Amino acid sequence: MSLLVPLYLAGLTALGLPLLLHLVRRTPRGRQEFSSLMFLSPAAPRLTHRSRLDQLLLLALRLAALALLAFAFARPFLRETALLAAGDLPGRRVAILVDVSASLRRADLWKQAVGKVEDELRQLTPRDDVALYIFSDHVTTLAGFDPDQAGPRPGKPQILRQLLQGVQPGWRAGDLGAALLAVAAEIDTATDAGSSAREPLIVVVSDFQHGSKIEALQGTDWPRRVHVVPRVVAAARPTNAVAQALPPAEGANDDPAQIRVRVANAADSTGSQFYLKWAGGPPPEQPGRELAVFVPPGQSRIVRLPRGVESQMANQIQLRGDDHDFDNRFCVAPRIQRDVAVLYVGTDGDAPRGLARFLRLAGASDPMRKVDLQIAPDPPRTVVPRQPSPQLIVVSRLVAPAEAAALKDYAGSGGTLLLVLAHQELAGLASLVLDLDEPAALPAADYLLLGDVDFSHRLFAPFADPRYSDFTKIHFWRHCRLNLRQPSSARVLARFDNGDPAVLEQTLGAGRAFVLAGGWRPDDSQLALSSKFVPLVGGLLDVACGDSPARFDRLEVGARLVWPEFVGDAPIIVTLPDRRTLQLPPHARELTGVDQPGEYDIAAGAARLSLAVNIAASESDTAPMDLSQLEQRGVRLGPALTRAERLDRARQQRDTELESRQRIWRWLIAAALSVLIVETFYAGWAERRIVQQEAGS
Amino acid sequence: MPERAQPAARAGGRIDPAALMKIKSLQLRAKVVVDGYLSGLHRSPMHGFSVEFSEYRPYTPGDDLRFLDWRLYARSDRFHLKRFEEETNLRCWLLVDLSRSMSFHSLAYDKAEYAKTAAATMAWFLTLQRDAVGLVTFDEALDEYLPARYRPGHVHRLMMSLERAPAGRGTDIAAPLEQIARTARKRGLVVLISDLLAPVAAIERQLGCLRARGHDLAVVRVLDPAEVAFSFASESLFFDLESGRELYVDPAAAKAAYLGRFQAHAAEMSAACRKLGTDVFTVTTNQPLDLVLARLLQSRMSGRRVARRSGPLRPRAAGGGP
Repeated sequence: MSLLVPLYLAGLTALGLPLLLHLVRRTPRGRQEFSSLMFLSPAAPRLTHRSRLDQLLLLALRLAALALLAFAFARPFLRETALLAAGDLPGRRVAILVDVSASLRRADLWKQAVGKVEDELRQLTPRDDVALYIFSDHVTTLAGFDPDQAGPRPGKPQILRQLLQGVQPGWRAGDLGAALLAVAAEIDTATDAGSSAREPLIVVVSDFQHGSKIEALQGTDWPRRVHVVPRVVAAARPTNAVAQALPPAEGANDDPAQIRVRVANAADSTGSQFYLKWAGGPPPEQPGRELAVFVPPGQSRIVRLPRGVESQMANQIQLRGDDHDFDNRFCVAPRIQRDVAVLYVGTDGDAPRGLARFLRLAGASDPMRKVDLQIAPDPPRTVVPRQPSPQLIVVSRLVAPAEAAALKDYAGSGGTLLLVLAHQELAGLASLVLDLDEPAALPAADYLLLGDVDFSHRLFAPFADPRYSDFTKIHFWRHCRLNLRQPSSARVLARFDNGDPAVLEQTLGAGRAFVLAGGWRPDDSQLALSSKFVPLVGGLLDVACGDSPARFDRLEVGARLVWPEFVGDAPIIVTLPDRRTLQLPPHARELTGVDQPGEYDIAAGAARLSLAVNIAASESDTAPMDLSQLEQRGVRLGPALTRAERLDRARQQRDTELESRQRIWRWLIAAALSVLIVETFYAGWAERRIVQQEAGS
Repeated sequence: MPERAQPAARAGGRIDPAALMKIKSLQLRAKVVVDGYLSGLHRSPMHGFSVEFSEYRPYTPGDDLRFLDWRLYARSDRFHLKRFEEETNLRCWLLVDLSRSMSFHSLAYDKAEYAKTAAATMAWFLTLQRDAVGLVTFDEALDEYLPARYRPGHVHRLMMSLERAPAGRGTDIAAPLEQIARTARKRGLVVLISDLLAPVAAIERQLGCLRARGHDLAVVRVLDPAEVAFSFASESLFFDLESGRELYVDPAAAKAAYLGRFQAHAAEMSAACRKLGTDVFTVTTNQPLDLVLARLLQSRMSGRRVARRSGPLRPRAAGGGP
């Protein structure tokens, strides 16, 4: 005999009521006030519990009626079978979907995820079929479902455990929506809708981060029978921030030395102070200076991260200050040191205090370029080399007409000329590119300074900042007065303080020529020894061969790497971030299956290209998602029942069915009513008898 | 109504206490009972201030000069004090027990009511005789105290004090007796009206103290007929009015033992009082009050107390002056 609602047995406490009433009735009827009890002896009362209870039959009837009522409400039934075992539970199809996106690399999340899967496997019953899927931006089936007729394979949970041991979270972004849809479609197909009695269930083990994509769920019909049980893993320390380099703003005259970096902080972060610096690059890696950034949780800031001299070749932006470092390095395509060929045409050759010497020194300190300075042989053998053509030709002597024609051709075809007129005798050289009148007599002067500098020109742009725009410490002892014929197409970039042009630019066909009406040797001026000389030469080289702006290909892990076709038939060697190499056939232009962030070097013969691949920004948005968003998109979230709870439910359901079939409570109610009728008659009879006895006495 | 009830109540020569208690005014009840008794003069053994000369006494330094008889001095050249007989003489204190036990009743009225009426009767009677009457009501503590006076309005005050309901629980005769002993420097009569339901030894000790100070004592014990006869029929939970104790009693079984103890206590009390030179007048509340008064007076007039000193409670009808 079992009870469906044993709580109603609490009604048995009501049995105390008739007992109490029977006892109360036997207390003395009267309460006699008396002046003093000093003459009355405290005789032992004759009232004992045993003697107090009379009308035992009446009492028994009343107790029986109440007990029958209590039992009837408790809904008794006769159990036909033994207790339920786990094997009696109806089978389910459980798809365990494990998140292996990059955000699972945080703290011990993967360990937690494996633990959750283990929990789920433990809760399985022998009749449950289970499949294991992992997902990031795509779904991978580790173990699928067995055919419905065959039933689940024994020992399958153990297989799944072994399979899971070989899995680690990757670097890809998580697409929860697509993964849910894919698994739901598969489980729905495997369950074959109405034909199988097995309840389909998807257990999702994930951190359900805010950045996980669920857009795929929008506008799709979720299978009615499939329920999703979320098993959330969470990091104890939530602060996570990410830094991303941004391309220069369009149309803005950005300083290439400062890169725009977006720093985003997750919504559930507790910290808000972060530090950025340049890192990585060719060894020896030199750490750059840190830039402090304050970003409140849930917000983002865009800052300009300057490249110091020491971090010109750095290819990573490193963020510090959050709890998780899986996304703290952002790779940018490394700057490639370019080969620049410079031809020097002058009389002083490679003299120690000559022009070419200082030019070579200035070019050697540029990390972005490898300057190859060639000294042209003495005249008349000087010819402008055609192949390979130098990017800059510096002329500091008078040239022969043949040479002049060659230089003009060179400039007209896109080359850059620099004419250095260290003294007045070289004024004729300027006529190579400028229209000049006869120069006036050169007045005697102590020295001249540079003034009226055009900082808007690229040559002088590095000095536009007022901190660097002071040229008064550069004295020119000698210069060349140029009397420009007006109107002139030449652009004066700087003048001496007496009004003579100091630096001019003249466009020649596709190229251009610069004229410096002075020299930089210490005998001529203080230019070569000043701090302005190296940036000035750098600016000149920038103009001559173009600078090497950083590439901002926003490549994410999982994307397809595409590059322009290389010339030649050399096989393409791709060096992965982990230093492994892949050999691709010649003329290959893409690489798929990019599954780790970092720098990908693609080389074909001498040609070389670097691409930076980063973790998707969405993976860094690690604030937990509101699970109701899934429900809003139609996903049916199911209850997460343990095996014991399922057994309880099944047992309760079976008991209810048994009880409703047996309906013993009806008989108990009938018996209680019968007892009450007998009690009524007996009580009436007993009362009449007592009255008669009292009347008789 | 009292006037109409009076002839009926007087049937048989005695006043039916049940009829008497229907009179609301205590003063009227006393009047009814005392009816006919008038005031009397009593010579006092004390010298006081009166018009009646008593004697001359030679002056001794320290005497009050007001009482010097200057005429005698003129005549005899001697200082003499003139002394008078004190005219009012009897000081009577009525000690009325108003404890909870006095609120027990098997009749329509309780013992306290009866005791108050008895006290009022005596007070009225004494007032009529121009004697000073004081009142002490008490339970476990002293409740009211009115010094013995004879003056207009005093008896009314006394009646008002008596009409207050009993409030206390227990009985402590010691406190009122001590109060009397402290304040009554002159000797007088102390009438204790109580049910005396307390250990005999305690009462005896207190009465003994009072007696030792020279006071005259009269003890009136007021009992309910049910207490005397223990006439309860059904078994009940008996509730002690004073202690609050409860006891389940079967009267049929307990009656004999009760009566035995009760009578032993009464005998012990009588013996104790007799030892102190007084008597216990036991009255039950169904007895007429004038009978009580008469018996008390009769008792006061008889015996050695009468021979020893002039009885203060002597009705005019019973005899003349000293």
